[in-house]
Amino acid sequence: MLLPENTKCECGHQNAVGTVLCETCGKPIVKEIIESSEPLEMRYDGVARRSQKANPDLLDKIWNFFSSVKIAIYLIIATFVGAMFGTIFPQANTFINNFEPSIYYEETYGTPGKIYYLLGLHNTYNSWWFITLLVMIGTSLVICSIDRVLPLYRALNKQQIRKHHSFLTRQKVTYTTTIEGNAQQWVQNYGQALRKKGYKVHIDDTALLAEKNRFSRWGPYINHIGLILVLLALLARGIPGWNLDGYVKVVDGDTVPISGTNYYVKSEGFKMELYDNGELPESLQNTGRVKNFETNAILYACESNCNDDYEQPQLTEVLRHTILINDPLRYEDLKLHQFDYDLTPRINAVSPMIINKETGESFGPFDLSMVDPDLSYEVGPYRMKLIDKYMDFSINSDGEPITLSREPNAPAFIFNIQGPNLKETGEVFMYFPLQKDKVRFSQNTINRELTDKIDIKVDGMENVSFSEATTFLNVRMDKAVKYLWIGAIISMFGLLLGTYWQHRRIWLRIDDDTLTLGAHTTKNWYGMRAETSYALGKVGIELEPKSLDNGGNKG
Amino acid sequence: MSLLDFSSSIFIVAFFLYCFAFIFYCIAVSGKKWSNRDPKVHEARWSKIAFITSSSGLIAHIVFFVTRWIGGGQAPVSNMYEFITFLGMAIMVAYTIIHFIYRKPLLGMFALPLTIIIVAYASVFPQEVQPLIPALQSIWLKIHVTMAATGEAFFAVGFAAGLMYLLRVVDFKDSSKKGRKAQRWVEFTLICILIICGFIVASFGFKGAGYIAQFEQETVAVSGVGEIQTKVATVEYTMPPIFKPFNSTAQYITPFLGIDNALLETPSWFDGVNAGRKLNTVVWSIIVGLLMYAIIRLIIRKPIAAAIHPMLDGIDPDDLDEISYRAIAIGFPIFTLGGLIFAMIWAEIAWGRFWAWDPKEVWALITWLFYSAYLHFRLSRGWHGRPSAWLAVIGFVIVLFTLVGVNLLIAGMHSYAGVD
Repeated sequence: MLLPENTKCECGHQNAVGTVLCETCGKPIVKEIIESSEPLEMRYDGVARRSQKANPDLLDKIWNFFSSVKIAIYLIIATFVGAMFGTIFPQANTFINNFEPSIYYEETYGTPGKIYYLLGLHNTYNSWWFITLLVMIGTSLVICSIDRVLPLYRALNKQQIRKHHSFLTRQKVTYTTTIEGNAQQWVQNYGQALRKKGYKVHIDDTALLAEKNRFSRWGPYINHIGLILVLLALLARGIPGWNLDGYVKVVDGDTVPISGTNYYVKSEGFKMELYDNGELPESLQNTGRVKNFETNAILYACESNCNDDYEQPQLTEVLRHTILINDPLRYEDLKLHQFDYDLTPRINAVSPMIINKETGESFGPFDLSMVDPDLSYEVGPYRMKLIDKYMDFSINSDGEPITLSREPNAPAFIFNIQGPNLKETGEVFMYFPLQKDKVRFSQNTINRELTDKIDIKVDGMENVSFSEATTFLNVRMDKAVKYLWIGAIISMFGLLLGTYWQHRRIWLRIDDDTLTLGAHTTKNWYGMRAETSYALGKVGIELEPKSLDNGGNKG
Repeated sequence: MSLLDFSSSIFIVAFFLYCFAFIFYCIAVSGKKWSNRDPKVHEARWSKIAFITSSSGLIAHIVFFVTRWIGGGQAPVSNMYEFITFLGMAIMVAYTIIHFIYRKPLLGMFALPLTIIIVAYASVFPQEVQPLIPALQSIWLKIHVTMAATGEAFFAVGFAAGLMYLLRVVDFKDSSKKGRKAQRWVEFTLICILIICGFIVASFGFKGAGYIAQFEQETVAVSGVGEIQTKVATVEYTMPPIFKPFNSTAQYITPFLGIDNALLETPSWFDGVNAGRKLNTVVWSIIVGLLMYAIIRLIIRKPIAAAIHPMLDGIDPDDLDEISYRAIAIGFPIFTLGGLIFAMIWAEIAWGRFWAWDPKEVWALITWLFYSAYLHFRLSRGWHGRPSAWLAVIGFVIVLFTLVGVNLLIAGMHSYAGVD
């Protein structure tokens, strides 16, 4: 349909190659369109686009590919179909640790799970093909927009008022009649009626162009610019240092470093509150419905000795915040979110007494911290040196004592004790602060005859210090998020312009007694016809809006 | 009478007003052919009555919403019952707006049954006010949910008009291959709607009969910090178990038609909360829906679509086409804002990332991409009429899947939304 020759219109205007309707008078200049009787395709007012070059080279061909709306729709469809696959089974990144996808999917879902894993669908949204689709949509957004917005701007910026007859009669809304009286006055009156409906009216003798809401034509392009920003923000999460996603476990009262940052966080206590039965409907009584989770957190910036195993880090408090699920701690780009909790208490310190079993005297108490104990103690007549400690005591298969973890789940201390009626060089005493461990590991048997001489014993619960809970915080940082919001606002603004307002134009000319009218809009033809006929009614031509309909595809 | 009791009563009033409005629309349409009257006057008169009735229903519905909000002390959009009733209300609001733009009363003939089905569907869920769990204690719950539902309500009206268009234009005498294909798909769409009705009928039927079955189910879950936890929970069925929960043993089963044990076991990969019960419910819905379809076919002795088709004579299909498109075009920006942008804002606050590829999020994105493809097809590729109407129908199926199906089949961070 793109004939390189004969782009000069009979009105004398020289049109660019690829032009469908004369840029000035609107007369069709392509043979097939001249010969057809269908309503005109009014896209971009028939102006040539960049992609309609006569002899495209490779770059032009790529440009043409991405400038096609058809390709854009295929890309959209491919993206949402691809996205569907990613929701069949859980994605790999929803599991936090101890997760081996090659085993998990087959074990959990059988053969379909294995195929799912082998196809890489366990990681759909980070797969090369999904990212490629997003990048292609982005490219298509840019090129489609540039390809169309410039010709559209040119077409709308300099419009001729008097259009060719075939342009008017082949609009989707059109009307022809004969009128009596002064044609110029008629045009003025009709223009006046349209002004009341908010049209900008241009009159050239007996021809008229009325136009409103032209700005709405820029809506889709503004929307697309916003979407490009949103896509870039989504892809920018891959830039090193822009995105942080980690977890930190904080026992009540502890201060721990946040890996990947220069910050430390202290929990002054995690609290969970349940609804009372009085607040709950019958079906939820005694179900333990949670009313609130919160972590009282303090954020510290580390000044020196950060992540040093031997030196205490120098910390400066920067922020205190009670973290709720919908109220994270935010400091600059860093965010700490309530993620999980553990209500298993942890023993922090005990204050036991030393008892001389032979005399019945007791001395102390002395303070024994689990995580960071002193190396020597003087309690009454006794002097104790800490020889060894196990945080999570156990005996391995070779019968040797080991610690299973660094958590004080089953703490055990080995002291060398000197004192009354004990050897000069001291005797070795093993101490389990928790009663259950004392029984489980037979403290009395281990200490043999020393058991009859002395004992170390906690006198009452007030001499034990516990952390009641452990909170798990999600550490997040996303530097791209502000661009996302800007993109979303731009996109939304464009979307509103493009959908809730419609660009409407009415052209009209009177030759002798014959009135020819054509009207065009990009959407809402019902409204277009209603306004055209309303204004005709004002100048004495009553008709059903529907009778203006000339058929054709209507967006 | 407490405010909440009043709220429940006025909801029933709204439901019946919707039913009456639907009947009046049917009278307006079918009564045109009755003798001794001017068809135009009859239609205008009865559609006015119907519109007044449906608007009264909407007012009652809004009163329900407001009184429940005040009485319950929290926005009534926090569980499935409240969300679905809100969706029903939003559809009526969308329908009323479209009515004021186009003044084509007969759209009510399709929008109202849709609302009635949705409102009845809501009533299947537990109706008490449930205090919010911490994850939902946010102002964004109200903003995100109401806005997304409003957008979806416009899609629903687009669906109603699209389906009406198809019933209007599909030629039921055409016996060519293409014609028969169109007839089959329209009929299939109607069967799907009947299956949703089947769910409602089955739920109320078995609930009314006091049916109950209990299973003890053992589940193994991996906690957030990688510990394996085994839980034993009692699962209660209110419909006879065709599918029992995965890895469960029966505690108590009321015999139904002499069957006193589950026939099959739910596959392990059904992932959501209470997957077994949900699957069982779906199977029952299909059985009851198909049963109702068979009965209707026996009575009218032709496809349902072919029976509705002549009632729509005289309605301009171009109007239906435009209404369907406009409803979607109005709903699209609302859905974008409520279903995606506000959702991202809330996700950023609650989880720290605006986008986590959670299944519910992905399906909201799929819905959005689908309707953007629809708009591009229509605006740039000139798709209107039948293809456009079919897309409007499929689009609403995707909306329903996003709202209900995702919670049914796929577990995710939205699984607390409590679909049964």
